[in-house]
Amino acid sequence: MDTIMDNTPQTEETPAEFAVAPPHKTRPGFLPIDTNTFDRCFISVVCFVAIHLLWMRFIESFIPLVMATVISLVLAVIIVRWG
Amino acid sequence: MKSNRLGWGFLSPTLIILAITGFLPFLYVVYIGFFDWNIFAAQKGLVYTGANNYRRLVFDADFLRSLWYTIKFTFWAVSSELILGFALAQLLTKDFPGKTFFRIIHALPLMIAPIAVGALWRLLVIPGFGPIWYVLEEWFGIEYRIGASTSQAFITTVLMDIWHWTPFVTLTMLAGLTSVPKDPVESAMVDGANQWQVYRYITIPMMMPIILTTVFIRIMDALRIVDEVYMLTGGGPGDATRYIGLHIFRVVFPKTDYGYGSATSLLTLYFTIVFCWLLFVAISTSQKNS
Amino acid sequence: MAKTTSKKTLNWIGTYLVWIVATLVVIIPIYWMFIVSARSRVEMFGAPSLIQTTFFAENYTKPLLNPTFQRYMINSVIIATSNAVLVAVLALIATYALSRWRLPGADNIFFWTITNRMAPPAAFLLPLFLMYTRIFKFGEWTLFDTRLGLILLYCVFNLPFAIWLMKGIMDGIPKELDEAAMVDGAGTWSILLRIIAPLSAPGLAITAILSWVFAWNEYLFAASLTSVEARTITTGLAEFVTVTGTNWGEMAAVAMLALLPALLFLSFVQKYIVMGLTFGAVKE
Repeated sequence: MDTIMDNTPQTEETPAEFAVAPPHKTRPGFLPIDTNTFDRCFISVVCFVAIHLLWMRFIESFIPLVMATVISLVLAVIIVRWG
Repeated sequence: MKSNRLGWGFLSPTLIILAITGFLPFLYVVYIGFFDWNIFAAQKGLVYTGANNYRRLVFDADFLRSLWYTIKFTFWAVSSELILGFALAQLLTKDFPGKTFFRIIHALPLMIAPIAVGALWRLLVIPGFGPIWYVLEEWFGIEYRIGASTSQAFITTVLMDIWHWTPFVTLTMLAGLTSVPKDPVESAMVDGANQWQVYRYITIPMMMPIILTTVFIRIMDALRIVDEVYMLTGGGPGDATRYIGLHIFRVVFPKTDYGYGSATSLLTLYFTIVFCWLLFVAISTSQKNS
Repeated sequence: MAKTTSKKTLNWIGTYLVWIVATLVVIIPIYWMFIVSARSRVEMFGAPSLIQTTFFAENYTKPLLNPTFQRYMINSVIIATSNAVLVAVLALIATYALSRWRLPGADNIFFWTITNRMAPPAAFLLPLFLMYTRIFKFGEWTLFDTRLGLILLYCVFNLPFAIWLMKGIMDGIPKELDEAAMVDGAGTWSILLRIIAPLSAPGLAITAILSWVFAWNEYLFAASLTSVEARTITTGLAEFVTVTGTNWGEMAAVAMLALLPALLFLSFVQKYIVMGLTFGAVKE
């Protein structure tokens, strides 16, 4: 039973789980980390949802939700383009 | 020489099963979240309501409270497990007779069904014959009722999680400690560094990837705890230990308000993903730096 | 010299003491549950004593002779076993494909299988329930309350770590073996069955055992996606608390039965549990 361990690649230093993160091209932007396109889309979606939730909770009684959508979309474009 | 088609053929059963039971439900829950769907309502089918479910949700005090409880629980459980696990792993790095025996016993809680862990702990704390209850009540004179005191119930769930998962942290930390090379530690000792400095500047930075991976997995698992707590306290007293998974399981799921339930599920998923993603970024950044 | 020796001895005693305490903390709750399961209702109350000389077998025989509970047990065994076999076979062929073919996008797939394991199960309760009762419906037959439904579902939790574990093993089997066999005229299937499967057998066994235990242990979905026919032992255990409530002896006995597999398999797989729980990210 122990022999199979000898065959497996040694990954003690770098946990393999994070070594497989898809190796796409990343580039620096105004975001604090280097990101690829997928990351930036993901961040945009996360921000989109967060802005809408907070808007509904605190601001919607004054300003309609459409504004949140507009702001989120603008932010998304900024993030995807320059982030 | 080899056709890719055969390769995909080998992979496809896995992908199909994961798509059916993993990805499809996700799409479905996103879809239903925008509808009003209650099979006992006047209108039986799906009625489009836009973001109304989410609008209700951000003002749902029960939901927000259970999120907060979950975060509190996760914080206390995971931080205690880390400290305890690290200390125990430190003691296991030395070779001594019987080490294997201790290690095997230590891995036992990891294999036990979570629901049985809940049963186990319930038997320890039942007023009337549980040993923990007896010791606290008879020896220390503390009135111990997890069915009545919210803080005691909370602490008991944390303790149960510590009992269940500290071994996991110990074993991963042990893997980390044994992979730390001995030379830098020894040369630092020769240069007159004390034990604390060795930890601070050599051992912990070198183990950072494993520590973060452990934290990541522990937080993920703590955020979704259901079975143990359901068995131990059932979410009570009141809603003091109704963590988010339990909230969905006991409160949202039994109602037939499917649209609202989907919104709750999706938002839970959202918070978990964002939380894990932030951790993930922290891990990859720290790996790049080391 | 004598001083360092005594310091060493002290160190040893300290280490042992801590570990004995840690082991007792693990063992005593389980031992206590066993004791409770061996006591009649009368013996239970009063000052808790850790010594038990009699064995109140009725706690065990009553659930074991109950047809409902027997069905739960049989369901659990069938579901866990089928799931383990399914996961082992799927992981074998999937990792074979991942390691021997250069499939475009395979890295992403690999990564995606892991994210399946990270999601909180509770968030999938409702959509899966709806899908099982309404979408996978062929005439009167639905996936809801069937063993098949649970078997397929548990793949989501077990396949990711199984693929991780098997991928490492598969990459470790030299490709020259495949190529030599191919030169001898063996087809892909016979390579898989004659060379790859035997060489990865120990890994497959570990994968199967861990999957078996995880499937046996699962409660949340077993409770929500079944009603009568496909209930498992873990749901049976939970019913003790909600329905009868006070029969602690029987509940302890059922809980002992539920954790028995853990005790049996522990020594085989204890080295690989951590690997299984971290999808191979941390190895011992």
